[in-house]
Amino acid sequence: MATHEILAATNAVVTLDVALPGIVWPWLVTVNMWAKSIGTGVIFMLFLLIKKYPNQVGNLRFQVTVVSIVFIHIFLLFTLADLHQPFRMWHIFFYPHFTSAITVGAWMATAFVGLLFLLAFFSFVKKNDLAFDKTLAWVVALAIPVTLYTAGLMSQCTARELWQMPTESAQMIFAALLSGSAFMILVFGNKLDWEANKSLSRILALSAFMSFILYMSEYVFGPMKAEEVAAVLEYIKGDGEYTVMFWIGQWMAYLLPMLLIVLSRVNKSEAILKLAAILALAGLWIVKHVWLMIPQLLPMS
Amino acid sequence: MQLGFLVDLHLCMGCKGCEIACKVENEVPLSTWRLRVKYVDVGTFPETKRTFTPLRCNHCENAPCERICPVSALHYLDNGIVNIDKERCIGCAGCVMACPYGAIYIDPQTQTADKCTYCAHRVASSMMPACVVACPVQANIFGDLDDPKSNISKYIMKNQGGVQVRKPEKGTNPHHFYVGGGNVNLNPLASHRIDGHSLFNKITTLPVGGHH
Repeated sequence: MATHEILAATNAVVTLDVALPGIVWPWLVTVNMWAKSIGTGVIFMLFLLIKKYPNQVGNLRFQVTVVSIVFIHIFLLFTLADLHQPFRMWHIFFYPHFTSAITVGAWMATAFVGLLFLLAFFSFVKKNDLAFDKTLAWVVALAIPVTLYTAGLMSQCTARELWQMPTESAQMIFAALLSGSAFMILVFGNKLDWEANKSLSRILALSAFMSFILYMSEYVFGPMKAEEVAAVLEYIKGDGEYTVMFWIGQWMAYLLPMLLIVLSRVNKSEAILKLAAILALAGLWIVKHVWLMIPQLLPMS
Repeated sequence: MQLGFLVDLHLCMGCKGCEIACKVENEVPLSTWRLRVKYVDVGTFPETKRTFTPLRCNHCENAPCERICPVSALHYLDNGIVNIDKERCIGCAGCVMACPYGAIYIDPQTQTADKCTYCAHRVASSMMPACVVACPVQANIFGDLDDPKSNISKYIMKNQGGVQVRKPEKGTNPHHFYVGGGNVNLNPLASHRIDGHSLFNKITTLPVGGHH
């Protein structure tokens, strides 16, 4: 923990306090954020492919929609699992409190799921690409706030000084772009030509680069803005509890994928690109988990 | 009416009478506390002293817990108390994450959020909160901040320079004040937490939610 300026003089030691309440949002919330990133990220990527490589999209419309539906449901399932009273979830719709990012997010995610099913209907039942593409534009527009609302929720956790809306919003968008492009390369890369794969890899590399810069900015400059942030970041510095996990995440999610993408471009290797995608997806979970855990380690009293 | 609390730390002797009274009055389960007294030892032997700080919900004017609650389970009463409706709470723990004072917890028996309500049920019957009644030295002063003749208003007036709140930088505008406190009492980062230095080392905790 950061040394407070008066600690040396007072030598103050807490001798009785029952630490409340430890880790409140556990790994379930990490899965929630990770799955949502993929669920909205693949929609962003599908939109890009339709605009840039329309002749290659073909069946991807339906397949990507299914992937998004699956991952958004994983996100919703883990959100529900994290509630201590999951059977009261309906209260969000019948007693909504719209100052809460949780409420706004739940309503938007519900609308998002409805639109995804509409996309599935257009692509699978109606086989109407025109209607699909028109609807997709609205789905993409909604996918942006659905991606961002978790940043709003984190910033409403005013006790956790580390989470600030501007940085977290950027992180959420970059996470969606990173995981969306990685998932597309990994699962649908074989159905796309090298140029389309290159475009996806460019997005993957750039979002990894920007995310890494944001984390490093917090890492270096965070302690200068608030005492609590300095104290929280001590958990990922030196022999902090999450130091190893933090750096494993940074290497897996950002640094190694960037290097591998350069390597794959030089060698025109889709196999290396897929390895970069796997590392990015796994690393993103680790990065998000560390960032979720460390502010919860700080005693509030 | 705006109800508020003030604790005169000059008077508090760490007897924990308030803590027990609160537990009994509100049937607070094992391993959780609506109100607790923190001990911090200061100095180096032989120049040492022990400080006592009762900690409870601050009933903030700009309460982050109320704002983040998705179902308005946390809500303001007309008298300024931030109350909780446990029947409506969905147990998302957003309030626990939002409270800068660590004053909210998940009740292991009901699996809902819970916290100090300034004994709103007693106040509604014109009684003082249980902790106020139990305090043997009247260190807890409770009353209407809007009434200049109330004990709490007079106390604040008398001790103007020495009245503090916890974490004022958070902008929550707490309605819970301290007199006679220092950084060590009110700032959690101003003291070490060293393993083995706690007077109670083996605290029984009840499972919450099943996944923690």
